[in-house]
Amino acid sequence: MTQNPDNTPVISMRGVWKYFDSLPALQDINLDVQAKERVVIIGPSGSGKSTALRSINRLEEIDRGKIYVNGQDIMDKTNDINLIRHKLGMVFQQFNLFPHKTVLQNLTLAPIKLLGLDRSEAEDRAFALLKKVGISEKANVYPSMLSGGQQQRVAIARALAMQPEIMLFDEPTSALDPEMVGEVLNVMITLAEEGMTMICVTHEMGFAKTVADRVIFMDQGQIVEQGDPNALFDNPRHPRLKFFLNHIL
Amino acid sequence: MAETEEKQSAGNIVLVTEGGSIPNPHEFRLINAWSLSLTLAIVSLFALCLIWPEPYLRILLYLPDGILVTFQITLMSICFAVPLGFLTGLGRISKNRFIKLVASTYVEIIRGIPLLVQLFYIYYALSRFVQISGITSAVVAISVCYGAYMGEVFRAGIAAIPRGQTEASRSLGFTRYQTMIYVILPQAMRTILPPVGNECIAMLKDTALVSIMAVPDIMQRARSFVGTTYLYFETYTVIALVYLIITLLLSKAVSIMEAKLNYYDTKSR
Repeated sequence: MTQNPDNTPVISMRGVWKYFDSLPALQDINLDVQAKERVVIIGPSGSGKSTALRSINRLEEIDRGKIYVNGQDIMDKTNDINLIRHKLGMVFQQFNLFPHKTVLQNLTLAPIKLLGLDRSEAEDRAFALLKKVGISEKANVYPSMLSGGQQQRVAIARALAMQPEIMLFDEPTSALDPEMVGEVLNVMITLAEEGMTMICVTHEMGFAKTVADRVIFMDQGQIVEQGDPNALFDNPRHPRLKFFLNHIL
Repeated sequence: MAETEEKQSAGNIVLVTEGGSIPNPHEFRLINAWSLSLTLAIVSLFALCLIWPEPYLRILLYLPDGILVTFQITLMSICFAVPLGFLTGLGRISKNRFIKLVASTYVEIIRGIPLLVQLFYIYYALSRFVQISGITSAVVAISVCYGAYMGEVFRAGIAAIPRGQTEASRSLGFTRYQTMIYVILPQAMRTILPPVGNECIAMLKDTALVSIMAVPDIMQRARSFVGTTYLYFETYTVIALVYLIITLLLSKAVSIMEAKLNYYDTKSR
């Protein structure tokens, strides 16, 4: 990536703390993500993994520490968070498609209004993305007509329509029926193969093994262990990770 | 945590105060409460006027000027009350504590005072300081009163949109304002419009109160007719039927709009 010739991380979290009331949700999180790196965050529910992810694009405001995206401090008021968010695509557990817009309009709204694309440019881009996620034939229907798996693929396409440099996935398959998990994971694997920088919170250990460069295990708001997926899954060192893997696999 | 919030708010509960009951747009049977009421009202009115043109037809022909004034007051009040309600609703969900306090206090005060008292206050009590015409007083009082009611409808309608919609929009890079315009309001309209229509119908009925201030609306025309003829039963029968026909037609219009707004959701109802 051109702006990172010397391997400075595209995302850097430094001593990040976050409290929900008086409960610490994140405790001193330090995390660097390099360009094109695929990071998967795992951990029990309530471990703070979604909070950590959501704090990167400031959907959660952190209480202490620093987060840099492409070297820009996201909590610094002089940096426009909305411009930083253009570079951070996000996919949610509940899809959150805009129900009053067709699939096509879901993909073109932000590029037209925020990037100043004209309609035909935005639609060309949208059709290419819909083809990529395999639902071009549904361009003109409303989201309520789609299955969960289709909706989530549209949601991924919607995020990609802004041509982000980094994709954040917040448990993208957790709300799906089992038979639809595969179609969404396949889209994500394609993205990873194309070199997209990705941070993914998931319970899909198979996905973590095949795609991740690095797996991070979080528990009680802390990064407990991290490393190469094979090493981490086959030789967990920390007892809490051992306990977690024994229960989930 | 966010999930349970979504589930709760997905119920789309919007407080409906008085107003005509809005017919279900999916109700296609020939005989239903709405069509029966309308038919009965129209048939009764025609029958009375045909069988006893004196005095019924004479009463009916005495009214058109009043109907015009009633509509005039209602429309002017709607023009002020709807924007006022919208701003109040936005104020009540504002992050700015001062704006929120102002909006909430306005709603609390207005909701606690009967409309009739508000009318008298503006027309009679404030006349010590400013002279306001009957029609202006009526429009001001009704707008201020219904602005507060509608503020609640707008607030509830906006609050019913799941938080995930805002998050998805903000994560794409939309500002708070753009999120409201492009994502939240178009969806909220669907839950807001029927109760707002309902409030407008209630408003039309409440304009009858202004007759007390000598504003020549339907009710005032009736009162002046009664004043010279003493035909209480005949006059107020006609008046009731006329109001009924107007509100029934308007409630049908609201239900048609409601059905049109449901275009994108195949699962509702």
